Amino acid sequence: MSEERNLVEKKIICVSCPLGCGLNVILSNGEVASVTGNNCPRGFAYAKTEVKDPRRVFASTVRVEGGKLPVCPIRSKTPAPKGKLKEIAKAVAELNVRAPIKIGQVLIHNVCGTDVDIVASRDLN
Amino acid sequence: MENNNIDVLIIGAGPAGVAAGIGAKKEGAERVVVLERDWDLGGILQQCIHPGFGLRTFREELTGPEYMHRFINMAHEAGVEFRTNTMVFQIDKDSNSVWTMNKERGIECLNPKSIVLTMGCRERPAGAIRIPGTRPAGIYTAGTAQRFVNMEGYMPGKRAVILGSGDIGLIMARRMIWEGAEVEGVYEVMSWPGGLRRNIAQCLDDYGIPFHLQTTVKKIHGTDRLEGVTVAKVDEKLNPIDGTERYVPCDTLLLAIGLIPENELTRMAGIEIHPVTGGPVVNDLLQTSNPAVFAAGNVVIVYDLVDNVSDEGLIAGANAAKFAAGKISPNVKKIPVKGGENVRLYSPQFITGESDTIIYMRVTHPIEGPCKVTAEPGLYTQKLRYARPGEMNEVRLKADVIKSKPDLKEITIDIKPL
Repeated sequence: MSEERNLVEKKIICVSCPLGCGLNVILSNGEVASVTGNNCPRGFAYAKTEVKDPRRVFASTVRVEGGKLPVCPIRSKTPAPKGKLKEIAKAVAELNVRAPIKIGQVLIHNVCGTDVDIVASRDLN
Repeated sequence: MENNNIDVLIIGAGPAGVAAGIGAKKEGAERVVVLERDWDLGGILQQCIHPGFGLRTFREELTGPEYMHRFINMAHEAGVEFRTNTMVFQIDKDSNSVWTMNKERGIECLNPKSIVLTMGCRERPAGAIRIPGTRPAGIYTAGTAQRFVNMEGYMPGKRAVILGSGDIGLIMARRMIWEGAEVEGVYEVMSWPGGLRRNIAQCLDDYGIPFHLQTTVKKIHGTDRLEGVTVAKVDEKLNPIDGTERYVPCDTLLLAIGLIPENELTRMAGIEIHPVTGGPVVNDLLQTSNPAVFAAGNVVIVYDLVDNVSDEGLIAGANAAKFAAGKISPNVKKIPVKGGENVRLYSPQFITGESDTIIYMRVTHPIEGPCKVTAEPGLYTQKLRYARPGEMNEVRLKADVIKSKPDLKEITIDIKPL
């Protein structure tokens, strides 16, 4: 007697490092059953989040007043949900910041309710 | 006085130059000065605000400015001096005098004991590929557009076509999307991508941007402002195929068609340039044909990863410090490296065997299957899952292996299918 299993195969490219391994992910009833093609454990971890809760680090700029540059680069401190990137991009585009800015300074806490902070990625005087 | 006791003078404060400064100080050089033409340090990484840098060096993925922030702090702690807003306009052939220009200091002549060239590279411009049609506004190299968006706060346009699939073009495709623009597609004349696979995945596939291989821009349309381009499939000789043309309306064309090492000063100094890399010929000490002049980073050969650029900067800086201290023999043995099967370019071109070294290389054609990279006679062999022109390969040579072969006359590197 074998249980009815719903097997799905997914091909994804790991973006954890410049190698860009091609991963073959087998999903069994929506859960990751196996990952092949990865060269390291990061690939396995990437496959697991990518199929359930895909995330990316978001990087852009914010408008700055009184700085040596008119914009300051920012990033999400940790990877943000892929489906929320557009919303995050809008929230970041609406922000205006006054110089001086320190690298790592939190500019938006918990952006769009994602539990992810937006931080400055350079010093700007 | 202030200018006459410099041990190591470094030209360019990007990743290679800042690392070279650290390398020189760590090797014991008394005075190490880095010259930078921009008002700020960091070179091109200032505008590379996306993550993906330094995984090897720092075990985490940093943005360009964050990566440079760490290296610049290390350089300050090591006692490296920086002069910004300072342009080098000449290196004299015989005396190795370096002529600089700065708004406050005026024109100066520096006479260091050794020099490290770290000027980086620049993008192949539109003029290099002579696309037929008009010459309207709206055509930029991807890096120029990157500077506009990320440092100057301007968007180059609302609907872009990207020609060439180098990493900067892929990164800019995503960047334009995040800033609310449209990207109609990326067109690559070759049958393989120029950039890293992960950038195809996370910059194009994530946003559904079409990627067209063996396709090019055949004609540019528009009088004042770009109005559109004609794209067409190409044949094996890269010529457009009649009947495959398609008109694509767009107001922006971004070019990501290659990088060229920036070596005007190198040529002026009479230093030998390699015809394929476009950078100075170097040995594994990263010493050029002028024994007092060293070079590192994208000025030598265009790398995929900044980690490699920083590694090479550290080595060049350390060896320039050794040279300044009289610790490098002028008669060091130099074994030539030859590129064999499927090797398009590589660096260094000579090996002294003084220390362990890495030869960085690129293949001419992709091999999509198991293959191996070798250095003969019997110096190195490494199996690979594949070899692609967009991803550098390495040959790692051990000093003791080189030293154990006193009759070694030449090293040949190859990449062959298994």
